[in-house]
Amino acid sequence: MTGLATVMLSVIDTGEQITFWICGSLALIGALGMVLSRKAVHSALWIAMTMINLACLYMAQGALFLGMVQIIVYTGAVMMLFLFVLMLVGVDSSDSVVETIRGQRLAAGLAGLAFALMLIAVISRVTLGDVGTQGADAVYGGNLQGLAALIFGKYLLAFEVTSALLITAAIGAMILAHRERIEPKKEQKDLSKERFLSGEHPGSLPPPGVYARHNAVDTPALLPDGTLAENSVPASLRARGAIRTVDRALGDEVQQLAAGDGSLEGEDLR
Amino acid sequence: MNGLIALVPIPTPNMDLGQIAPLEIVFGAALISVLVEAFVRREGRRRVQLVLVFASLIAAVAALVGLAGTRTLTAQASVAVDGPALFMQGTVLLLAIVGALLIAERSIDPAGDAFAPRASALPGGREERELTAAGWSQTEVWPLFLFCVGGMLLFPASNDLLTMFVALEVLSLPLYLLAGLARRRRLLSQEASLKYFLLGAFSSAFFLFGTAMLYGFAGTFSLGGIADALSGNAGDNGLVMLGVALLAVGLLFKVAAVPFHQWTPDVYQGAPTPITAFMATCVKVAAFGALLRVMYVALGGVRWDWQPMLWIIAIITMLVGVIVAIAQTDIKRMLAYSSIAHAGFILLGVIAVSEAGIASTMFYLAAYGFATLGAFAVVSLVRDSSGEATHLSQWAGLGKRSPVVAGIFTLFLLAFAGIPLTSGFTSKFAVFSAAIAGGATPVVIVAVFASVISAFFYARIIVLMFFAEPAEEGPRVVLPSAFTALALAIGVAVTVLLGVLPQPLLNLAQQAGIFLR
Amino acid sequence: MNIGTAVFAQETVLAPANGTFSLIWLLIALPALGAAILLLGGRRTNAWGHLLGVLMPVASFVVAAFLFAAMLGQPAEERGAVQHLYDWQIVGAFKVPFSLQLDQLSMVFVLLITFVGSLIHIYAIGYMAHDPARRKFFGYLNLFVAAMLLLVLADNYLLLYVGWEGVGLASFLLIGWYQYKDSAAVAAKKAFIINRVGDFGLSLAIMFMFAVFGGVTFETVNAGIGSASEGTATWIGLLLLLAACGKSAQFPLQAWLFDAMEGPTPVSALIHAATMVTAGVYLIVRSNAIFDAAPTARLLVLIVGCISLIWGAIIGCAKDDLKKALAGSTMSQIGYMVVAAGLGPVGYVFAIFHLLTHGFFKAGLFLGAGSVMHANNDKINMRHLGALRTVMMITFVTFGICTLAIMGIPPFAGFFSKDDIIKAAFSQSPVAGVVTLIGAGITGFYMTRIFLMTFLGKARWEDDQHPHESPAVMWIPMVVLAIGATIGGVLMWPSHWLETWLEPAVPYQEHAQTLPEWLWIIITVGTALIGILWAVALYRREVPVTPPAGSLLTRAAREELYGNEINETLTMLPGQVLTRSSVFFDNRVVDGFVNGMAAVVWGVSGALRTVQNGFARSYALTMLGGAVLLVALLVLVRL
Repeated sequence: MTGLATVMLSVIDTGEQITFWICGSLALIGALGMVLSRKAVHSALWIAMTMINLACLYMAQGALFLGMVQIIVYTGAVMMLFLFVLMLVGVDSSDSVVETIRGQRLAAGLAGLAFALMLIAVISRVTLGDVGTQGADAVYGGNLQGLAALIFGKYLLAFEVTSALLITAAIGAMILAHRERIEPKKEQKDLSKERFLSGEHPGSLPPPGVYARHNAVDTPALLPDGTLAENSVPASLRARGAIRTVDRALGDEVQQLAAGDGSLEGEDLR
Repeated sequence: MNGLIALVPIPTPNMDLGQIAPLEIVFGAALISVLVEAFVRREGRRRVQLVLVFASLIAAVAALVGLAGTRTLTAQASVAVDGPALFMQGTVLLLAIVGALLIAERSIDPAGDAFAPRASALPGGREERELTAAGWSQTEVWPLFLFCVGGMLLFPASNDLLTMFVALEVLSLPLYLLAGLARRRRLLSQEASLKYFLLGAFSSAFFLFGTAMLYGFAGTFSLGGIADALSGNAGDNGLVMLGVALLAVGLLFKVAAVPFHQWTPDVYQGAPTPITAFMATCVKVAAFGALLRVMYVALGGVRWDWQPMLWIIAIITMLVGVIVAIAQTDIKRMLAYSSIAHAGFILLGVIAVSEAGIASTMFYLAAYGFATLGAFAVVSLVRDSSGEATHLSQWAGLGKRSPVVAGIFTLFLLAFAGIPLTSGFTSKFAVFSAAIAGGATPVVIVAVFASVISAFFYARIIVLMFFAEPAEEGPRVVLPSAFTALALAIGVAVTVLLGVLPQPLLNLAQQAGIFLR
Repeated sequence: MNIGTAVFAQETVLAPANGTFSLIWLLIALPALGAAILLLGGRRTNAWGHLLGVLMPVASFVVAAFLFAAMLGQPAEERGAVQHLYDWQIVGAFKVPFSLQLDQLSMVFVLLITFVGSLIHIYAIGYMAHDPARRKFFGYLNLFVAAMLLLVLADNYLLLYVGWEGVGLASFLLIGWYQYKDSAAVAAKKAFIINRVGDFGLSLAIMFMFAVFGGVTFETVNAGIGSASEGTATWIGLLLLLAACGKSAQFPLQAWLFDAMEGPTPVSALIHAATMVTAGVYLIVRSNAIFDAAPTARLLVLIVGCISLIWGAIIGCAKDDLKKALAGSTMSQIGYMVVAAGLGPVGYVFAIFHLLTHGFFKAGLFLGAGSVMHANNDKINMRHLGALRTVMMITFVTFGICTLAIMGIPPFAGFFSKDDIIKAAFSQSPVAGVVTLIGAGITGFYMTRIFLMTFLGKARWEDDQHPHESPAVMWIPMVVLAIGATIGGVLMWPSHWLETWLEPAVPYQEHAQTLPEWLWIIITVGTALIGILWAVALYRREVPVTPPAGSLLTRAAREELYGNEINETLTMLPGQVLTRSSVFFDNRVVDGFVNGMAAVVWGVSGALRTVQNGFARSYALTMLGGAVLLVALLVLVRL
């Protein structure tokens, strides 16, 4: 690591160096946090932190415009849009973190570590030439002008072709999410016509009967003429034949009840 | 930064539009195609799109022919117009035309074309059934297809890493989408799409990382600039090594080389078969074109470093491809592993590092591309009530039921196996001899061994088709419309022609086999 | 080129074909087109198929005659032409020009093939009239003619090999024409397998040539043979001889020819008498530069010719089956040609001369045999024939003329050609001379026997036999061939035209005359007469319907001198021993290895499949591992 530090030291002044170590570490922590959090919202916030720190690094290097764009477009617009979507999907949804593949985590950790070590080992031995934006900025008289010259000059084709990428992305979003209506939306008028034309009972069905001794859903209501209204019992019960029968009370029973004799209590009105 | 900044005017970029005409035609058609989606009534869209697609592709071929022999850098030196670029672009365009024929087919499946009527509908839901019954189709396939072809045209011609990266994304993104649009087995298709997207993004990250490393080394994205920096730098530089390795990861992912191959069988199996055919051929051509350009133009100076790496990749790619293919029971997965193995064979041309290597690679890609398109076209024809019958057991005795289709498939399998008088033999011979001339004899020995194993599993399918008893309730072979029939005819014709009379194309490839820096 | 090699190689660089000679391709294209139409056209062409089938070889003959006339108009050294159609580059350095070469030698063959072929096609209209698949038959015959023409017109050995295999295929298909008969199917297979042995020789020879000379055109090989070692030339020569033995039914690969008589008689006449079986002779004469450079190989050619000559003649004496007796005769007569070819520049021309006259009279004999079969319910056993003279006058006369021709009786064609070979043989090797002379005697014997048993004597017909003359469409070709057999001698006598005609393409060297001409005539004709008179003495009497036991030699000859058994013991027995021991080796050692390998591959395959678990994160891990590997590889290489 000393090699790397010397490289940095030789080119960058102390203030920038401090900025680098602080923002760099924070960006890394943010990236790790994004990968490791269980909740999508947390991940989104972590990545916002990474982006802000990267923006700081850009600015510290003199790429002010890029830093600002990074904050405004990515952190401000894209990440917030992301958050909105996540809120819509449901803040509470979280991924299962149970790893089903044996050895996956260990292997991934080892491979990642090996990769990181190799990168560090190689980069720490590297001597860089011209670092920083000063040289490039000078050509067109500033960072912003230099960027413009590159985008609209040297990389014009790449810049234009990027539009193909954006259009593709838009079409992709349409394909995956958009649902064109197959038929015109039904108005209230259409709905009520449909209801009457179907020939079925247009209104709401009668509720089950409510009696002194029974008011469960399997007890049919009585129509004014005393017959059973079968459709007051849910169709599933009807299909099972689990409808209670409701007999007219016998005269003496009524008298018994009137006399306050509770001996019939607990029996069914069968 | 003190004081007044002196404003220097930005010079007007010099773009010779004629030299990138094929690119412009295809991208222009793609944009029009998007507008067609927006403004043409649903019933007429398909017809308009078909006319647009075929007209633009043919016009692009014509423009390309007009450019034949050009050797120049254009669009601020970000695009190279040279032999390999034109050859690869031509191959991509011709393969794309045949691929478009397969995509346009809609009489094989009784429900319509190979794509879901609406990707956003719940798989297997009521809405999907209604849409199918109403005969809806997702004509957005066409703009996506055209964008993808555009990306493929730019990819092998990019002369700087930034343009190359943009092209890579432009060609990949539509493919991720197209892979998820299969009409049958929607869930498998969506899973394939997601996997391809995730892993593709992962590989793009490596590519970008590598690009950054090389930029850090050379201070430029331009391939020629990197080469200059390498020739000026005598000492070792770790950044270059990192850059080479990481760029290679991104490119080898696209050509489906081991160990960056695992997406291939899953995606090939899940994607709609015409898309699989398109993907298996055009992506390979474009990606090998880019790989050749990066390795030869930018990194030719460190070839002693990357050659052993590609040796090892080629060896394990061929071996893993053929060995795993043996155990496959699904015809599309078998073809996927076969395509992995072929990526290994084509890498032999890359590691030759010679003009013969370039020429043989280009010839191999063209020959392999047409045979592969044909093979997948046949796969799309063998169906049962639930869609394509891809399980190998269902192909038993196919030769007795449909001798013509089984015969055509046999021809393609023989070409894959590299039997003489088919294009496969010529192309294998070409890359093998280029690799031997390039000093890669051990790799060629492994390649011959792998060819023998591969001949075994191709022969197994031929035996299965012609000598096994047909299964009860087996699949039937659907009579295709003119689209697929034409595609098959082209596939057969090219496969036989390149086997019997390979010389004209070999000559063309040899003439074209010099990169421009 | 030094003086030593100039003796061997004829450096005739042939001119490219233009003008009339640009029609060469048409010779092959016409019958090939006929075959394509007839075989692919299906039942639709049934009605007129046979007419098209006849038209194509006739048209081809007309073209050939046209080319012949054009060739006569050229000075001798400019008569050859090469028509370059395209380069068939199989890849890299292995490049074979697809070119046709029409020189004097090819011209002779083209005329023979198209002329005799046309006649036999016409004949087959009548002969195959009742065959439901007559159209297919004509398709196969056209295929044969096309392949045979390709064989003789090729300007390189590889293209010749294509034609060689083509005629083999046609022969296989036609021998097995009556495939519902077991014997025909077996015969076809036998011909196919024995021919493979010879073809193997030819393919090895071609590879050898490519390896040594870097090319396979006649020009390259002829140019290169001078500087090659004698050992190389000998090996190539021996391989070519093996090929010639297979195709031309020469010892020891002759056994298939007798069974091949299972095919329809026009096939026997065209393929197994007049043209295809002479391809071996063509090959040897065409490769004369190689054999000139390899005396050992040429000696072996002579020996093979001598053995075949006697071998075939003896078999011809004993067979009761008319066609098989004629097949023995074919083997014997081709033996004559091979002997002549084995004599070197002294004999090449005579080999071709005899090949031509043989093409006429042997085709005539077979057509006569076919006519006899046609008239007698396909009865071919001569013991059930006899006295056909009375009912089949035309057949009798034409067959008789051809018989006189083959026996070498002046002034018929066979007299001139055989006489020349005998004289040339005596001039080079007394042993060969004696053998050819004895052969002439035996020829007289067996042909007389055949003639007597078939046409003269008493009728030994069975009840269902009602012999009658064949229709005109059949007898006209027979008459034409008989005329050819009568006057064919004019090619060499009195003008020696053929010698001078073939001169640039086939070297000719005058041999020393030891005896005066009239003495030769007395010797050769006398020998033939001895054979004839002996046969008359034997078969003048009543011929028993059931064959008598006969002497040891007769019995052996009936069994084709145990050619099959010899082949079996020589090739099959060691083969079987080898097979058994190798099966043992195979089971224990090779299978162990192969099965082990298969198991390893299968195991690895299974293991790798488990890696393919369907989880994107697992795939990504593999990719990361791959990236680590690549970085490590590059960094390690650098360190």
